[in-house]
Amino acid sequence: MKAPPVSISCRNLTLRFPVYGVDAKSLKKHLAKITVGGKLGRSHGATEVTALSNLNLELKAGDRLGLVGHNGSGKTTLLRALSGAYEPDEGSIEIEGHISALLDLGLGIDPSATGYDNIRLRGRIAGLSAKEIDERMDEIADFSGLGPFLAMPVKTYSAGMQARLAFAAATAVEADVLLMDEWIAVGDADFQKIAHKRLLKLVERAGILVLASHDIELLRLYCNKVMRLEGGLASPVTDIKKLDELMAA
Amino acid sequence: MDTATHMLRTGRRGPLFEYQMAFRDLRMSGERLGLAWSLAWHDVVSRYRGSILGPLWITLSMGLMVLGIGFLWGEVFGVSTRDFIPFVALGIVFFATVTGTINEGCDTFVQAAGMLSQTALPMFTFVWRTVLRNLINLGHHLVIVLAVLAYFGFWRSANYAGAALGLIFLVLNVGWISLLVGIASARFRDIPQIVQSITQAAAIMTPVFWPADRISPAHHAILDLNPFYHLLEAVRAPLLGRDVAPHTYLFLAGMAVAGWALTFSLFANTRRRIVHYL
Repeated sequence: MKAPPVSISCRNLTLRFPVYGVDAKSLKKHLAKITVGGKLGRSHGATEVTALSNLNLELKAGDRLGLVGHNGSGKTTLLRALSGAYEPDEGSIEIEGHISALLDLGLGIDPSATGYDNIRLRGRIAGLSAKEIDERMDEIADFSGLGPFLAMPVKTYSAGMQARLAFAAATAVEADVLLMDEWIAVGDADFQKIAHKRLLKLVERAGILVLASHDIELLRLYCNKVMRLEGGLASPVTDIKKLDELMAA
Repeated sequence: MDTATHMLRTGRRGPLFEYQMAFRDLRMSGERLGLAWSLAWHDVVSRYRGSILGPLWITLSMGLMVLGIGFLWGEVFGVSTRDFIPFVALGIVFFATVTGTINEGCDTFVQAAGMLSQTALPMFTFVWRTVLRNLINLGHHLVIVLAVLAYFGFWRSANYAGAALGLIFLVLNVGWISLLVGIASARFRDIPQIVQSITQAAAIMTPVFWPADRISPAHHAILDLNPFYHLLEAVRAPLLGRDVAPHTYLFLAGMAVAGWALTFSLFANTRRRIVHYL
């Protein structure tokens, strides 16, 4: 059976965030609030923030969507919803294809474990079997350029070395849908260059890329479409060539 | 690759749909039990990295406690050490699994915040991680159990099938309690303290260190109504070659059914919210 083509489809996607303040997290205060009839609690209760409202998005293989918008405009929320971590409050998200989210390079990194152990852990989380990880281990180790340091605990690494490891491990999984938050500028100039090459390859291999970034040049480099988010409201998806008009609007 | 190639996420579509999604989460976690095992194993390895004995340190301190309590309290209660040490040893080892899984259940989701907020991993994976981690620890402590059974000659009269059945009941019940406190702790940060107080009190109220027959029949309700007593008894009695009272199995089966029904409903209703609690 042939797998259906890679696609992302969001219909009327609305996502609200309940914000649980410190007060709302205490059971005693919760009970106290109930007993006084909720009057006092109104300012302490969970306030809802609408992070995304009524967003529609259709992407198919070959689409590389750039997300632009101010801090807090909903870019990361959208990526997390696409990764399957956040459930929509209204509407739906439907995705065909393996999803790989490079939102946080530190995902599943344990500082006291060795580099090899961390690669294994990260691979397991991404859905690889122990055997598949072992098959790729040489390639990942090679790419990270860390050599003998991979047998040392990650806490002994410099920040740049940690980033190299995380990046090498995170990008070792093939995906049809690649979600990235900000551009992951890691390592020294040498590593930047090979990281760039690897990402281009990943982007080519991935059917769909969704990339959130503030760096306009970067978006021009990697994306062919762009969407602007403003306070949870999305602009229509437009061609990257019209980015300037979109930003001016 | 065993990740889903099709993902559909929607808003609420009524209670039935929420239960379906919760079952889906449970099923997916079953398919990826290997991941839960890897995480649990990693937890155990990383907690004791750099130590020579590893988890056996707990086993060692448990062993010392068994000897101390066994000899001293055996004297106090006027029970022969031959009967009392195996009783205390099994009590301490299995009760540690019960309280360990429940206490650590509080951290199940809090600890997994990073993974839950950027992957579509099933939430039940992290529940199994906590349960499996405690079973791995139990595996180490079995050294004490085996040593005691062998030394005091109980290995001949022990009913291993009965103990295995008891352990299944124990895991079934401790599993839902662990999930329940996990959800509650994610929402309210004072739950872990409450849970710890309860498990501490339970260690005193339950015949872990003291013989159950010291309770006069008139006050037997203290034991009959104590779920921890039944959890412990179902595993300990068969290993000591004693029969488990039928009402203990009845109690545990009822508790498992009612507990899972309640907790699963809570999970179905809070599932999409848990990630926002963290």
